[in-house]
Amino acid sequence: MAQTSTAKRLDGTLVELEPKRPGFGGGDPPVRPNVTVGSNAWLAVWMFLGAEAMFFAGLIGAFLVFRLSATIWPPPFQPRLPVGVTGVNTVILLLSAFTMRRTLTCVRLANPGKAVRLLGLTAILGAVFLAVQGYEWLRLIQFGLTVSSSVYGGLFYTLIGFHALHVLAALIWLAVVFARAIKGRYSAQHHLGLQTCAMYWTFVVALWPALYGLVYLY
Amino acid sequence: MLKRNTLLTSLLAGLAVVLAPALAHACAVCWTGDGDPTADAFNWSVLFLMATPYTVVGSIAGWLFYSYRRAAAKRSQGQATESPLHLAWSEKESGR
Repeated sequence: MAQTSTAKRLDGTLVELEPKRPGFGGGDPPVRPNVTVGSNAWLAVWMFLGAEAMFFAGLIGAFLVFRLSATIWPPPFQPRLPVGVTGVNTVILLLSAFTMRRTLTCVRLANPGKAVRLLGLTAILGAVFLAVQGYEWLRLIQFGLTVSSSVYGGLFYTLIGFHALHVLAALIWLAVVFARAIKGRYSAQHHLGLQTCAMYWTFVVALWPALYGLVYLY
Repeated sequence: MLKRNTLLTSLLAGLAVVLAPALAHACAVCWTGDGDPTADAFNWSVLFLMATPYTVVGSIAGWLFYSYRRAAAKRSQGQATESPLHLAWSEKESGR
């Protein structure tokens, strides 16, 4: 509501001031587009992924110090890493990211049946990746590569182990989302749980080729 | 007497650190010279760790900016979607 008031000049005459609106400074309220870009959970997952990226950056930084300062790598008398099998495993994991993105597309296009099938396929591909990794780890331990065998072993199990833990966590999250998808909890308009899970899964998958190249190939 | 010995030892240790840092291992990387693989390794690692926060925060900010522009474009086409996050101040929240 507009208010009018007067002010007295030094010569004693009264002048009417311009009407002021309630609030700070008066004038029209600022015109801003009320644009929404995503949910709070979406933003929170972005922040979480940023923190995760920093965590892995620390581990990669430690790896770089030892790798670049070593004249012979891998160190002598240490088993070689299974590059071929892990390469195939990398393809499997990348395929799971593709099926995950397809799941999101299917949900957005209101095709829940296909979305559930693709989500299940994503979980299977993730589980296969973990199983192959676990098998290869057992073989490496048998060949003598342990956390305490050398810096090489310590770095390998720390870096790759933490990634495997993240894949496991993502797989558990995926299982929960899969169970909810079967119950029909996600629709074309409301699928935030699936979307955030897909973001985390994509991060975990996108991280792996970098780690594979660094630890296995470099 | 014991106090005097302790003082003398501390003084000598301090002098060693100042006069011969490499010998005293006063700095983790001081004993490496230019072109040494260890120094290069530390340099590359420091550069990588220095660049990472900028990359991470820049990526998130860039993606938010891109999403905002995309949402604004959709809104202008009359395809606005309802969502609880408002990056801009809204009249309802301000009480006006």
